[in-house]
Amino acid sequence: MLEYAFRGLLNGTVYALLALPMTLFFTTAATVDFAVGAYALLAAAVATAIPGPVGVLAGLASALAASSVMAVVYVLLKRTSEGGIRVALASFGLSLAIASIVLMVWGTKPFVRQTFMTMLEFGGLRVNPQGLVNVAVSVALVGATWLVLQRTQLGRMMRAAAVNAQGAELAAIPVIGVQCGTLLAGGLLGGTAGLLILHSSGMDFTASLGLTFIGFAAAIIFGIHSPLRCLAGGLAIGVIEALSAGYTSGMVTSMLPSAFMLVVLLSGQLRAGRYSGDRP
Amino acid sequence: MSLFGSRPNTWIMAGVGALACAVAPLNPVWLDSVILTGILALISLSAGLSFGQAGILSMAQGAFAAIGAYATAVCSTRFGLPAWAGLALAIALPSALAWGLARMVTRMPELAVALATLALATLLEIVARNWDAVTGGYVGIAGIPPVEGFSVGWRFNILVWVFVLLAVLAYENLMRSAHGRALNIVRHDRTRAMADGIAVAPLLSAMLATSGAMAGAGGWLYAHYITYMSPGSLDTHASISALLMAVVGGAGYILGPVLGTFLLNLLGKLLPAQEAQGLFYGGALILILLVAPAGLLGWLQALADRRTARRARATSNAAAPAAPAGPAAQAGREADNPARAAEPAR
Amino acid sequence: MHSILKRALALVAAVAAFGPGIGHAQDKPAVKIGAVLSMSGPAAVFGIPERDSLNSLIKEGGGTMDGRKVDFVFCDDKTNPTEASRCVTQLISDEKVVAIIGPGTGSGILAAGPVAQRLSVPLLGPAGTVAITDKANAFYPWIFRIAPNDTAGMESLWKQIVAKGAKKVAIIYQEDAYGKFGSEFAQKLSKDLGFTIVESVGVPYTATDLTPQVTKFRNAGAEAVFMQLSVTSLGASFLKAVNEVGLKVPLYANSGLAQKGFIDAAGPLGEGVRVLSIGNVVYDPTPPEQKLVAIMAKNGFKPQGWGDLLAGNGYMTIKAALAKINGPVTGQAMRDTIETLCGFETLSMGKGCFSKDNHDGWAADATILTTIRGGQFRSDAK
Repeated sequence: MLEYAFRGLLNGTVYALLALPMTLFFTTAATVDFAVGAYALLAAAVATAIPGPVGVLAGLASALAASSVMAVVYVLLKRTSEGGIRVALASFGLSLAIASIVLMVWGTKPFVRQTFMTMLEFGGLRVNPQGLVNVAVSVALVGATWLVLQRTQLGRMMRAAAVNAQGAELAAIPVIGVQCGTLLAGGLLGGTAGLLILHSSGMDFTASLGLTFIGFAAAIIFGIHSPLRCLAGGLAIGVIEALSAGYTSGMVTSMLPSAFMLVVLLSGQLRAGRYSGDRP
Repeated sequence: MSLFGSRPNTWIMAGVGALACAVAPLNPVWLDSVILTGILALISLSAGLSFGQAGILSMAQGAFAAIGAYATAVCSTRFGLPAWAGLALAIALPSALAWGLARMVTRMPELAVALATLALATLLEIVARNWDAVTGGYVGIAGIPPVEGFSVGWRFNILVWVFVLLAVLAYENLMRSAHGRALNIVRHDRTRAMADGIAVAPLLSAMLATSGAMAGAGGWLYAHYITYMSPGSLDTHASISALLMAVVGGAGYILGPVLGTFLLNLLGKLLPAQEAQGLFYGGALILILLVAPAGLLGWLQALADRRTARRARATSNAAAPAAPAGPAAQAGREADNPARAAEPAR
Repeated sequence: MHSILKRALALVAAVAAFGPGIGHAQDKPAVKIGAVLSMSGPAAVFGIPERDSLNSLIKEGGGTMDGRKVDFVFCDDKTNPTEASRCVTQLISDEKVVAIIGPGTGSGILAAGPVAQRLSVPLLGPAGTVAITDKANAFYPWIFRIAPNDTAGMESLWKQIVAKGAKKVAIIYQEDAYGKFGSEFAQKLSKDLGFTIVESVGVPYTATDLTPQVTKFRNAGAEAVFMQLSVTSLGASFLKAVNEVGLKVPLYANSGLAQKGFIDAAGPLGEGVRVLSIGNVVYDPTPPEQKLVAIMAKNGFKPQGWGDLLAGNGYMTIKAALAKINGPVTGQAMRDTIETLCGFETLSMGKGCFSKDNHDGWAADATILTTIRGGQFRSDAK
C-alpha cells in the first residue's frame, strides 16, 4: 500500500503545478482560467516536435504565447462586461481552440519523450528518476510562488488585488496588470506541468480538459487561497487516485476527480466574497 | 394584433417551425438536418432557460437529455411500453435530478455552479458507460422503436417542431407571469428579492427542473429518431455545444438559443477541416463574448435601439417639446422589434 | 426549308438520344460509392489511414473499376454515432450511393444500421465490434463486416499465452466497448484453455500513470499480461509503467495496438511484446499486402497499420461485387451480390468470404501473431 501511496505522491506533485495557476488567478481575479490544461498540451506537443533542450524551451514559449492570448481576451472582456463567468467561458473557448489547433497540426499521435531508461532502486522500490525531477521542480515552483506572494512587493500587490480590487486601484496598484501577470504565470506553470507529464507518462490530444479538471480539483480541496494548499491538494489527489487504482475498479478511479470537485464545490469552498465585504 | 403582441416569440417560432416543416421534406438530407437541428434547439433552449433566466450556467443539459433518451430506450426495448410512456419518464427523471441539484447549488456563485454541473455530467457519463444492465454499457441500446404514428420522416419533423414550439410557448408564458417578474428581480439583486418575500431557492430550482424537463424531452425525441442510444451520443460535448449555441444566440432572449443552434449547426457543416471544429466553436464563443456579450440577438437589439433612438430624436426635434419623446420612442421600439417585447429587462 | 429544318432537328434529336449509347455501348453506367470514416475524433487514428488507403486505390484505378466509372464520396463521422447516421443519410439521399464503406466505429454502424435498412443500401463496416453483425438486429441483412471481428485470432493468441507456460494472467483493458469485450471474452476462454485471470483492470483513455495497475499485477503474481488496448498512448504508458515497477513477464497485445503509432510511442520499451495483428502491411507484408503497399507508396502514403488494410478490403469487395452484378446497380443488388462473394481477390491475408448466414467477411486467417523486434512487427511463421 505504501508503494501505491508513494507513486501517488510523485504524480501529485505535477497536479500541484496544474493547480497553482488556478489558485493564483482565482485569488487575484475571482475567476478561473480553464485553458491551463490546454497550455500543458500545447507545451507537450511543441516539445515533442523539437528534440533536445530547445524543444523544452520552445514548449514553454508556446504555452506563454497561448496564455498571453488569454490575457488579451481578459483585458478586452473586463472593459465590456462584468462577471467572472464570462472570463471562464472565454477561457473555455480558448481551451477548445488550442486543443483543435494541436489536433490540426500534430494529428492524433501521442506525445511522448523519455529521458531516463534505467530506474533507481531504493530497497525494493523502483523509481523513475523522472519522478524525482518532477518532485524537485514542482516543490521548487510552489515554494517560489509562496515566497513571491508572501515576501515580495509583487506578492503584496497580488494579495491586495485579491482582497479588494477597487481599494487596490485607488492605492495605485495596477490591478489589471497584476491579473494579466497571473495569467502569464499560469501559462508558464501549465506549460511546465505539461512538459513534466510528457517526460513521465506522455499524453495525447484529448488530454487538455482532463488536466484542467484535475488541476482545479487539486486547487479547491483544501481551499483555493494558498500555493501550499495547492501542493497539499495535488498530493492528496495523487495518492487517492493511486490507492483507488490499486484497490478498486477502473470506474471508481475515473469518477474520482469529478466526484471530488462536486463534493468540494457543494461544501461551499469557492465563495469569492469571503474576503471582500461583498454581499454573499 | 394584441395576441401577437403578447406572445411574439411564440408566433415567430410558429412561423419558423411551419417553414421548417414545409421546406425540409423536399430533400431527405435537409429533413434529417432539420430534425436534428430541432432536437438540438430544444436542448439549447433548456440551456438558455437555465443560464439566461436563472443564472445557472448548466453544463449538464446533454446529460439530462441523455437520461431522457435512456429512460425511453429502456422503457420501449426492455418493457415494451409505448413511446409516450417513455416520454413521461423522460421528462420526469431529469427534472427531478435537476431539482435536487439546484437545491444544493442555489447559494453558490455562478462559476461554482457551472463547475458542479460539469462534474455531475461527467459522473453521469461514466455511470452510463459502466451500468451494463440498464444502459447497455459502451455498446448502448439499439433498436429503439419509433413513435407510433410518427415513424415517417416528415411527420416526425412536425412532432419535433411542435415540441420546440410548446417549449417556447411555455418559456414565454413563464416570463410573462409573476414568476418571470420575480426572476427578473432575483437576477438583479438577490437580497432585494428575498426582502421582497420571493422564495429564491425554490424558484431557481423550479427553473432548473423545467430546463431539465425540456432537455429530457429533447433526449426522448433523439432516441426515437436515431433509434440508437450510447454513452457517446449525448455526452459532455453535446452539453457544451448546447450551451455555446445558447450563449452565441443570446441566452437572455427566448429565441436566442434557437438562433444560435441554426447558425452554429449550419456553419459548422461548412468547415473545411473537421479538426477545426474546436477552433471554430471556441473562436465563435470568444468573439461573441467580446463583441456581443448578450449574444447575437442582444447585438441586433442594441442596433435596433440605436436606430429608434436616433429616429425618436429626429421626430422630437421636428415636432414640439419633450414629453412625446418618451411614448413615441417606446411605441417605436415595440413596433420595430417584437422579439424584444417579451424579453425581460436586462 | 421547313422540311429540311424538321429533318435536321430529327437528326439532332436522334443523335442526342442515341449518342451516349453509341459512344458507351460497351461501358457500364457510372456508380457512386460512399465512405463514412472517422477522420476526426479519437478513431481518426484508424480513419485517416483508411481514407488515405482508399484514395490511393481510387487513383490507382483511375476512378474506374473494370471499365466502370466509380465515384467515391467521403463523409467524416467525427467518431460520433449521430454524425455517422447523418453521414449515411446524406450520402444515400443526396449522392445516391449504392454502397457505403463505413461508418468507422461499431457504435456508428449500430446507429446507421436502421438508416441503411430503411434506404436499402449496404454498409461495409471496418470495425471489430461483434454486435454489429448480430443476427438479432433488424438491420442485419444490410451490414457486412470487412474485417475479422474482435474474437477472430484471439483464441490462437490465448492458446499461445498458455502454451508458453503462463497459468496466471492479468488483463489491462481500455474503458470502452472494445476493451470490455476483450476482457469478457478472455474470461470465457479461461475455463476452456485452463488459465486463471488474476486481475482485470479497466483504464480510461486519458489515464497517464499506470504504475498502480502494474503494481497490482505484480502483487497478484501475474505470469503474463494481456493488453486489450487500441489507444497507443495507453499502450506506451503501460509499457513505461511496467519498466518502472519492474514487472518482468511476457506481454501480449491484441490487434488494437498493431499500429505504427504504438511502436513509435513505446520506443525501446516495446521490444519483445507479442502483438496480434490484422495482417502486417507495415513491416512484413504478404504478397497481396505488398500490392497495397506499392499502390500507396505510388501515391505518397505510408501504411500505418490495419486501417489501410480494411479500407482495401472494402474497395476489393466493392470491385468484386460490381464485376459480378448483372443489370442495374442498386443498393439491393449490391447487397444481394455481396452475399454471394467468396474467395475473391483481396489485398490482405486471409480469405474474404460472405454468405447469407455469415456477414463477417474475414476470419482468424486474416490475423497473425507478431513480435516487436528492432522497432518493427515481425510476423511469426504461418
